[in-house]
Amino acid sequence: MHEPPDAANLLETARALLLAELLPALPEAQKMNARMIANAIAIAARAARDNSTFPTPPEADLIRAGAYDPGTPGHDAAVAMLMDIARARCAVSSPRALDD
Amino acid sequence: MDDARRGAIEDFLRAASGDPALRITGAALLSGGAIQQNWALDVVLHGAPEAWVLRTDNAATLAVSLPRAAEYALLRAARAADVTVPEPLFLCKDPAIAGAPFFVMRRVAGIAAGHRVVKSATLGGGRDALARALGQELARIHSIKPPRADLGFLGAAPADAGLAFITAQRAALDRQSRPRPALEWGLRHMERTAPSPVPTRLTHNDFRTGNIMVDEAGITAVLDWEFAGWGDPAADLGWLCARCWRFGNVAQEAGGIGPREALYAGYGDVDDARVRWWELGAHIRWATIAIDQAERHISGVETSLELALTGHMVPELELQVLRMVETAHA
Repeated sequence: MHEPPDAANLLETARALLLAELLPALPEAQKMNARMIANAIAIAARAARDNSTFPTPPEADLIRAGAYDPGTPGHDAAVAMLMDIARARCAVSSPRALDD
Repeated sequence: MDDARRGAIEDFLRAASGDPALRITGAALLSGGAIQQNWALDVVLHGAPEAWVLRTDNAATLAVSLPRAAEYALLRAARAADVTVPEPLFLCKDPAIAGAPFFVMRRVAGIAAGHRVVKSATLGGGRDALARALGQELARIHSIKPPRADLGFLGAAPADAGLAFITAQRAALDRQSRPRPALEWGLRHMERTAPSPVPTRLTHNDFRTGNIMVDEAGITAVLDWEFAGWGDPAADLGWLCARCWRFGNVAQEAGGIGPREALYAGYGDVDDARVRWWELGAHIRWATIAIDQAERHISGVETSLELALTGHMVPELELQVLRMVETAHA
């Protein structure tokens, strides 16, 4: 068993320090890099906390061939599953997208 | 830029400009994109100061971007069609001079950064005027018709730009290691609802907020021509209006800058349904570009936090694609 605090806690704590103390002290030319680092840490922290399980999505080849077109029996379930997967992926990569 | 390279570029510019006394008095790297480098050159030409930009490639470039010589030809063609572009001055095809082919154009003042442009209510004469001006610029670009000997590098115009787009996007997905069912969902919808083809025109293919330089009075330059090709003009309108290119200012549908109606009015005759079809395509295309960019980082070709983070934009684009398809069905 790993020693606490865990990965997510370490990342969140490090990010808070970066934003509160380092970012204001950095020259203007480096602020964008610091914001990118903060963003990367935020994604990694959310990924570390995430315990989503993903169903097997519809096969790309079948979608391409029209097997899930509107009016087919599998259409509604397929689009619902794709939406669920996309939302779960956004929850880690860009949670603000879920607010829209 | 080291002294040897700067000296070689200076020698080239002396010969190209016909001024053996030309001097480079300053060279500073501007904030460039992932693909190319831009250098601000301060030059003394015939005894008078000039402000130029030298544009060249990064070592690792996207396979889909046009080389500098092609971009130079596009700038010349655009300028002849009254598009607001920086004046192209000199082209150097010899990679030995600067490490890669480059061209020099006149430096234009203004702001391009998307997040700043969309926040301002006054830049470019105000939101309505700027959106209208964007439409006018696009109409001028779309006045350029194939075939054109000077733009031969663009290849033959596709018979059906919409279907060609779907084929190209599927090929881009097939090059990747993991399937992308949400993007496939969007492409299949596009295939089922494709509008009939129209005569192709020159399309910029990256005409969006962030690539348009503006000042308080208006547009000062349409930048970044490296994705241009023969296509459906509505594709450019769709790319500009796509929600993913509004820099968070989603209520202003023309690139986060101004109203869609003003853009359309500036452009002229617009088939709105066709633009919306391409808007869905814009999200799919941006997603496949983002996947490619992230792959450059993941594969080790170019380790870059910016490229890595670009990959994390893909889920949001996938969600938007699914939402747009559902809205279209509703």
